[in-house]
Amino acid sequence: MDGQRTIAVVEDEATIREAVCFALRREGYAPDAFDDGLAAWQAFERVLPDVAILDIGLPRMDGLELCRKLRTRSQTLPIIFVTSREEEFDRVLGLEIGADDYLCKPFSMRELMARVKVLLRRASLTPASAATDEDAIVTVRGLVLDPLRLSATWQGTPVPLTVTEFLLLLALARRPGIVKTRDQLMEAAYPERVSVTDRTIDSHIKRIRRKFQTADRTFNALESVYGAGYRYNEPPE
Amino acid sequence: MSLKRGIALRLFAFNVLLLFLPMAGMLYLDVYEEGLLTSQERSMVQQARLVGAAMSTAAAFDAATADAMLRAVERGDARVRVYDSTGTLLADSNRVGIPEPPAAEAKTYPAATVSTRAKVVYRLGAWIARGRDALARWTPRVSGKRPISLDADAGGAGPALPVTAALQGRYGAATRLTPGQRSLTLSSAVPIRRDGRVVGAVLVSQSTYRVLQALYRVRLRIFEVILGSIAAAALLTAMAAATVVRPLRRLRREAAALAERRDRLPGRFLDADRKDEIGDLARALQELTRRLDELIRDAERFASDVSHEFKNPLASIRAAAEMTSQSDDPADRARFLSMLMKDVDRLEQLVSGVRELARIDTQLQQEPLESIDPAALAAEVIDGLRVGYGNSPEMKLEVRGGRCGVRATASRLVQALENVLANARSVAPPDSTIDIVLHTEGRECILEVADRGPGIPPAHLERVFERFFSYRPGTSRNSAHAGLGLAIARSIVQGYGGRIAARNRDGGGAVFEIRLPCEAAPFPEAMQQDRHPLRL
Repeated sequence: MDGQRTIAVVEDEATIREAVCFALRREGYAPDAFDDGLAAWQAFERVLPDVAILDIGLPRMDGLELCRKLRTRSQTLPIIFVTSREEEFDRVLGLEIGADDYLCKPFSMRELMARVKVLLRRASLTPASAATDEDAIVTVRGLVLDPLRLSATWQGTPVPLTVTEFLLLLALARRPGIVKTRDQLMEAAYPERVSVTDRTIDSHIKRIRRKFQTADRTFNALESVYGAGYRYNEPPE
Repeated sequence: MSLKRGIALRLFAFNVLLLFLPMAGMLYLDVYEEGLLTSQERSMVQQARLVGAAMSTAAAFDAATADAMLRAVERGDARVRVYDSTGTLLADSNRVGIPEPPAAEAKTYPAATVSTRAKVVYRLGAWIARGRDALARWTPRVSGKRPISLDADAGGAGPALPVTAALQGRYGAATRLTPGQRSLTLSSAVPIRRDGRVVGAVLVSQSTYRVLQALYRVRLRIFEVILGSIAAAALLTAMAAATVVRPLRRLRREAAALAERRDRLPGRFLDADRKDEIGDLARALQELTRRLDELIRDAERFASDVSHEFKNPLASIRAAAEMTSQSDDPADRARFLSMLMKDVDRLEQLVSGVRELARIDTQLQQEPLESIDPAALAAEVIDGLRVGYGNSPEMKLEVRGGRCGVRATASRLVQALENVLANARSVAPPDSTIDIVLHTEGRECILEVADRGPGIPPAHLERVFERFFSYRPGTSRNSAHAGLGLAIARSIVQGYGGRIAARNRDGGGAVFEIRLPCEAAPFPEAMQQDRHPLRL
């Protein structure tokens, strides 16, 4: 865990790029800034960063393309998308291109730093790492959530979730049958809470459902409680 | 079919109106009746004259001769009577044993009377006719009807009025009702002269029964035709309603469903496949809703694009503000503050650009148009840019061949040209030349702006005119290029009925081509001197 972590920041908005790098530097990371996708890819071909923060709309090579290429180099490299178009992200679904998480612009710098920290911790996990209560594995019938590895499996099948999705599901699965309001869910998934609308939670839940249904078409444990929020039902065996 | 209102009712009314002529014809068959009666009277007089002439030249003028005479005459169904000068009946065709008209005919008439007039249809017609007669009583009659005398001569008690007239040497005629019948009996009397002296009279009388029978039959036939026609009119109306009114009502329902938001845009109209006018209407409605849907989608896309475009500077501002507040180093703070100010400027530019773009279509329609000489206008814009920004990259204007005027608002055309030139200047290397060529092709004025910049990938040739589309390889988005300039230029050019397109240039760079319709025929070269720079 020693030595500075390299965080690649690929962003063509100069102010954001500089501010992110500044914040990363303050947190003790070594930021590596790029203002277009192609230049970043050329650099990544030589050496991979520890975390990549990508914008979607980039000159020369857009962020989605860059992400796809990065995945050919490494399946485990944590990738965070920063985008101003949520619906754009909905369309390409971070999953298909293998992103670990995404934040919508404008985002809070602390939020981004928190994500970077979570992803770095997961990436640096060794099997022997000591686990606290917070990190204890949650098992609800077929569902297994590993907070340390941010990994989810449904009846043995791994379900790839973004960090946000994982945190949401974790909050629900820790208290099966109990309704969580959207506010509580926001609190769980976005510790820094910035510009998150109720709709955001809804679309996250929808995406989680879709991912689980890809693994098992009968999955229906995530239940909407109209007017209140959501709850995780213990599915019948 | 609903006859309550609208087209179906009107169709029926028109169809029935067509029947008014034959209907009026039936009701006014009186004229025909009059004609029949006149010709009947004429033949009666003719008959009387014949008998009279025969009597006047007969050997003797007495009852026996008259009797023999009447016996010899083919009588038809007229009754012929001969009177002497005192008005005494000498002979009566009804009382001589002359042969009856063919038996079959005689028997048919009464039967026909009953059957024709007893028919339900006829009675219905008669009922209507009575209505007409009742109406007629209110309007004074001009046409004189034959006067009907009610004096009787049936029993033969005394000579009838016409006989009296005939005995006085005149022609006598009378009309009276046949007792117990609808028909009339016409009587005509002519004098019989022997040696210039009136010695008697021949009276021919005949019932109008035959005439009435003919009339009844004609009336019945016409009335049947009219009833049939009304039925046909109703049927035709029903068919017309089925083919016109029903689809119209369906269209109305479908349109109302869209207007009341029960159906989704763009609407689908069931009759759009028809090849007739209803189909045309359905297609027009469909096109209308499609356009409406397009506009709504455009507005949604515009809002989405705008919010998206605002998020980048907002994210920048937020990031800079956060860093300013978190940083202790005055140098860092100053740096972030200046970035913040730049982003605020950018946001302001974006706001005004978006406002411009959103309003440009309506504004173009309101602004007064004038005749503009594009060559003079281009020269002015280029001069202005040179003064403002220097001539690097160099801008060269070339005007080829005949020129023509265009109808536009000068300031708008300047804006469009400035935007295209600004785009070219922003990508052209400083030591290169931007060639601006103006020429006329057919009825179009063409302005080309060619730069030596990096050119445009073929996939983006169309997209460069989309709002917020900015393709600037190697440059950061943070510059002032919001991707609105070319979009605004396109809106302006299209607003004047022109086109704008981009293509790559031989030897590197891009060419932007603006085509505007010529206002009139291109000017002859000789007329191009001494022209006001902007106005023609």
